[in-house]
Amino acid sequence: MRNFILFIRRFFNLILFLVLEIICVVLIARTNNLQGNDIMSSANTVVGLSYKKQNDVVYYFGLKQMNDSLLNENAKLRALIALQNNTYDVIKDSNVHRALPQTDTNQKKIQYADYVYRTAKVVNNSVSAANNYITINRGSKDGVAKNMAVISGTGVVGKVVHTSAHYASILSVLSVKQKVSAKLKDGTTGYVEWEGYRPDVLVMKDVPQQVVVRKGDSVFTTSYSFFPPDVLIGRVQKVMRVKKNSLLLLYLQPGSNFRNLQYVYVVENKMMVERLMVEDSVNLKKP
Amino acid sequence: MSIYVRNILRFCLIMALQVLILNKITLRWWSQPQGFPVFIPYVYPLFLLLLPFETPVWLLLMLGFVTGITMDSFANTAGIHAFVCVLIAYLRTNVLNALLPKNLSEYTNQSPNVKNMGWMPFLVYSSFLILIHHSVYFSIELWSFANIGYLLLKILASSATSILFVLAYLLLFTRQVNARG
Repeated sequence: MRNFILFIRRFFNLILFLVLEIICVVLIARTNNLQGNDIMSSANTVVGLSYKKQNDVVYYFGLKQMNDSLLNENAKLRALIALQNNTYDVIKDSNVHRALPQTDTNQKKIQYADYVYRTAKVVNNSVSAANNYITINRGSKDGVAKNMAVISGTGVVGKVVHTSAHYASILSVLSVKQKVSAKLKDGTTGYVEWEGYRPDVLVMKDVPQQVVVRKGDSVFTTSYSFFPPDVLIGRVQKVMRVKKNSLLLLYLQPGSNFRNLQYVYVVENKMMVERLMVEDSVNLKKP
Repeated sequence: MSIYVRNILRFCLIMALQVLILNKITLRWWSQPQGFPVFIPYVYPLFLLLLPFETPVWLLLMLGFVTGITMDSFANTAGIHAFVCVLIAYLRTNVLNALLPKNLSEYTNQSPNVKNMGWMPFLVYSSFLILIHHSVYFSIELWSFANIGYLLLKILASSATSILFVLAYLLLFTRQVNARG
């Protein structure tokens, strides 16, 4: 027993070192599956508050660009309204707003998809890590919940992974953990992912070679995933042919500029629970 | 100023500098595919490097852990910063022993700085530990050696920037006693 205590006293520093390192490894391993990072995320109150204070200062420097982007978005929305008043696109419209006959629905209007858009301000943002997180100033009190899609005025942003009462963390598309279901102009579907290096480049792998893709083509989200369909993911910047299997590899420039995100929309799909229930009942994978 | 107050102030200052300014730096010359990697300077290990000589090792380790956890909660990287900080806090004593002529216990009430170590040993000391910090951190963060050139470039660029920032810190906060004489 005495020897044992002597041993501990002699190697106390080494033992402490190892214990601390093991704690860290456990923390890393535990949060890599995105579960239970309640304390250690920028959504916790203290950190969120200090980021908010910092953002209050930095906010003013970006006002000019933000005005520009808001103006652009307004212009786009106006164009859309004008378009819809003139030509009524039945197929496109039915996807979102088609009402079933009233006898089916107990006097209620039922829709295939029912999206609620909530605006939120970005209070912290990063583009340099391998998995980038964004903190916004809306939390569970505002109705933001896990797995909701987040988009900006110009493209997809990410997915809500953790909420506190007033803040929420978003795993952005710039993450090696997250793929986005995507489709090209002609309907070819695939996945868009991030290589983990540069915030201005997303890649879409395994596009069949007979598909005609040109530089500047847009890539949109599909309705397969939690994102609302037809949101811009990015524009093709470069098309490469992989020699091994002669499939195409597309480099995309993301639609949203992740470096100066200021406002985002959190999209809640009210039909998601029902859809998941149906999909689970045939043992399909969750989106 | 008491040595505790000074170190607590330094902790707050360096953390604020790191979290509020340096973490937000995004330099804009990698926008092409196959471009230069994104890099980010981490100067907050400087707090651990500047703790007094006679700090016991267990206290160093605990402080390293606390520093790392603080940084982790700001950067959403649960545990990686803490891991690296504990590592360099452990290595610090050995590096100092190797670089200094006298035993560490003879430097009472002093912190490692340019005056009592000399420019060259201090730079070697800080750059070595910062290089280790960055290498381990980025390796864990990226978690693959598939693109080793990219990883090395990122480590080197980040370490070089961090060391520049450390130099700037030293030039700002070293009192020039014999500047005129």
